[in-house]
Amino acid sequence: MESHTKLIEVKYDDRIVRQFFMAMMVWAGAAFIFGVWAALELADWRVNANLQWFTFGRLRPLHTNSAIFAFAGNAIFAGIYYSTQRLLKTRMASDILSKLHFWGWQLIIVGAAITLPLGFTQSKEYAELEWPLDIAITLVWVIFAVNYFWTLSIRREKHIYVAIWFYISTILTVAMLHIVNSIEIPVAMFKSYPVWGGIQDALVQWWYGHNAVAFFLTTPFLGLMYYFLPKAVGRPVYSYRLSIVHFWALIFLYIWAGPHHLLNTALPEWAQTLGMVFSLMLWAPSWGGMINGLLTLRGAWDTLRTEPIVKFLVTAVTFYGMSTFEGPLLSIKSVSSLGHYTDWIIGHVHGGTLGWNGFLSFGMGYWLVPRLWKTELFSKKLAETHFWFGLFGILLYYIGMWASGITQGLMWRAFDGNGQLLYPDFVETVTRIVPLYWVRATGGTLYLTGYLIMVYNLYKTIKNSKGVANEVVMVPATMEDHSKVKDTGHRWLEGSGPVFSILALIAVAIGSIIEIYPTLNIHKYVPNNVTVAPYTPLEHLGRDIYIREGCYVCHSQMIRHLDFDVARFGSPSLLEESMYDRPFQWGSKRTGPDLARVGKKYPDLWHFKHMINPRDIVAQSIMPNYPWLAEQSVDFNVLRKRLSVMKMLGVPYSDDEVTRAAELAETQAKQIAEGLTSQGAPAGLEKKEIVALIAYLQCLGQKRGEKSVSISN
Amino acid sequence: MSENQDFDQVIKGHDYDGIEEFDNPLPGWWLVTFLGAIIFAFGYLYYYEMSSGPSQVVLLEESMQVLKSLKKSGPAMDEEKLAALATSDKLALGKTVFTGKCAACHGQNAEGLIGPNLTDKHAIHGTSARMDIFGIVVDGVLDKGMPPWKDALTPDELVNVVNYVHSLKGTFVANGKPVQGNEFQ
Repeated sequence: MESHTKLIEVKYDDRIVRQFFMAMMVWAGAAFIFGVWAALELADWRVNANLQWFTFGRLRPLHTNSAIFAFAGNAIFAGIYYSTQRLLKTRMASDILSKLHFWGWQLIIVGAAITLPLGFTQSKEYAELEWPLDIAITLVWVIFAVNYFWTLSIRREKHIYVAIWFYISTILTVAMLHIVNSIEIPVAMFKSYPVWGGIQDALVQWWYGHNAVAFFLTTPFLGLMYYFLPKAVGRPVYSYRLSIVHFWALIFLYIWAGPHHLLNTALPEWAQTLGMVFSLMLWAPSWGGMINGLLTLRGAWDTLRTEPIVKFLVTAVTFYGMSTFEGPLLSIKSVSSLGHYTDWIIGHVHGGTLGWNGFLSFGMGYWLVPRLWKTELFSKKLAETHFWFGLFGILLYYIGMWASGITQGLMWRAFDGNGQLLYPDFVETVTRIVPLYWVRATGGTLYLTGYLIMVYNLYKTIKNSKGVANEVVMVPATMEDHSKVKDTGHRWLEGSGPVFSILALIAVAIGSIIEIYPTLNIHKYVPNNVTVAPYTPLEHLGRDIYIREGCYVCHSQMIRHLDFDVARFGSPSLLEESMYDRPFQWGSKRTGPDLARVGKKYPDLWHFKHMINPRDIVAQSIMPNYPWLAEQSVDFNVLRKRLSVMKMLGVPYSDDEVTRAAELAETQAKQIAEGLTSQGAPAGLEKKEIVALIAYLQCLGQKRGEKSVSISN
Repeated sequence: MSENQDFDQVIKGHDYDGIEEFDNPLPGWWLVTFLGAIIFAFGYLYYYEMSSGPSQVVLLEESMQVLKSLKKSGPAMDEEKLAALATSDKLALGKTVFTGKCAACHGQNAEGLIGPNLTDKHAIHGTSARMDIFGIVVDGVLDKGMPPWKDALTPDELVNVVNYVHSLKGTFVANGKPVQGNEFQ
């Protein structure tokens, strides 16, 4: 039959690949510069130049979003569009959808780059963007999905290759994660509240956050690895069977692991335990990918010496192996008690992003550019130089953050023989690691330098190009089946796109439902005799400022069930204390101390002075100044709408409180401002943001009460 | 391995844009790791969530008991014992504690800032008696934002800083905050 197969000419759409690739290169620069900048701000607090748009709390989301969605996102799309067309032997189904995908995605990035510095944020990590951008992401992702599955349906290769399996799981799961985590109610053009509150929000957010790593930074890149690595070394993939087992195990297990971001917290323990044990089970499936990548090189190891592309790809896979060993390790409750909230986690993440995602994208780029622009790479030597700059950069970064995280983690938990904290002043544990922040910034700068060398190298390469053209190939006119035998088992599945996709969706839905569903009724976890007062209108307004400034980036509000946390910050946080919090503010990093029980710990004037210049209170503090909080005025009139949405979501406000929200806030603000002024603060603060923020800070840890249960009735 | 004829066999029909696949088995050590993790996971889940494994609340209570048992309160103090410990070298140590912990609110020279001036002859709580100061430092005055220092300072540090503060009373440093509270003798 095969000899009679009619061949037709197909022109792949390589223009879209070039576009995504160029976008990847541009946004990579932005992501790396923001990263180095943010690193310098931690090394020296003055680096934000007292500009509110670039304080660490706003810059860090800008850095993470540009690294994940702009740099890695465009890298994924470039690789997917290139490899999918060739693996399926067809042009993308719709050029228009491809274009909409490209331009839509870039517009979202521009929107993020504008709104994040302005403080428009939901404060949910890697999902900070406000609701209009969330809707745009959904639309663009649907466009991508439609284009992709349409292409899948017109493929000329019957069986779909392992890379495509990973792409399919990516497209479906990211859609599910994004939509569920972004269910929110708008209260203004760039302000919304999630429907999830407290532990629900924490669980949904980290189900999302962890699986953004899984399905945006892992599965698509594994797909890219399965295409570009065998291509680059010209060897068959080591084991088809391993591909099958590790793919299904990976996507099924990964989705459960989110609660490992919330170990020892107020999250119900069964969820914590599931998060931990599924992370441990995930280790081997992750390494399945690494093994299949590295062993594919057997017989071609010599290319590692001579080919910079292979160096990048192999190092990427190696970092993938390291990160996916470290991840399960950190998910063990006791290891988490040391590493969580510290720079160890930051180091871990960057091993993954700089090493795995970055180097794989660079390797792919060096392979793609000469092919896409029909020319030779300008300089292999410069690519080699890029590699070494990048590698040393990552190592400095990684080792610096290990040292910093473990040092600080050990200092936090150190008790003296008297059962007292050895380092009771939080700032002592910060001062100790500041030198390592310089090491980290140096590492980042090296990595950025390597990238700039790549930019120059590719610029010279493309300049030598004598014009580009879309690759034209002869492919069978109809779907081709190489095997000529009746398919059984997994092979049959590979021949059926719809069934495969549905099974992949079921695989990721199981863990999601089992973990999230039980927390939907949050009240069943709260004891009957416990009351939790909602925030006063002014406190609520202050909380919105806390969110805007990204305080959660450096301050947790979650005292864990650990003796040293309790000794330092007070009794462990209970889940009911944050049950009305939308969004939750448990945080994930303690660059500064926990704030869950900071309320009433210091006088108002302490907070006032501390916000204006933290060093007036704590000489070694590395927190930036927030002088604009005493200059900018609040609008109390927004509160009625905001509180009415809260009430609708189940926060126990009375109708009267909602109606009179502005008035109540104004009265409370006046009281606080008068108190401040009488203590020596300037007059005229009653409408300033700082007063609302102080009201919020002073109520933290003060809201839980117990009602006496009356027996006589 | 290379003698094994079943090894490194390219699977027929698996050709994707030139990429082929071997039909190699799952590495044994990998499979052992995977199954080992699964067995451990279910054992752990069973012990902690369905059997007698302690909850985090119980574990926390236990370790807080241990900390409590370590706690050696300093010897019981009275006015005379405190006074006897107010030697010049110990006052110097007290000054170091003051600069590190107290100056943020009371000023570098105890002239008063967020908290009251400690160098005048007025006190908001109690008198200038060493034991009054001791009580305030140990337990704090939560209403006024004075934190308790009993867990943040060692018994010796507490004594030294109390004596140091006592030594400042009535020295009336420059730029002092206006008096607050009641005058004492």
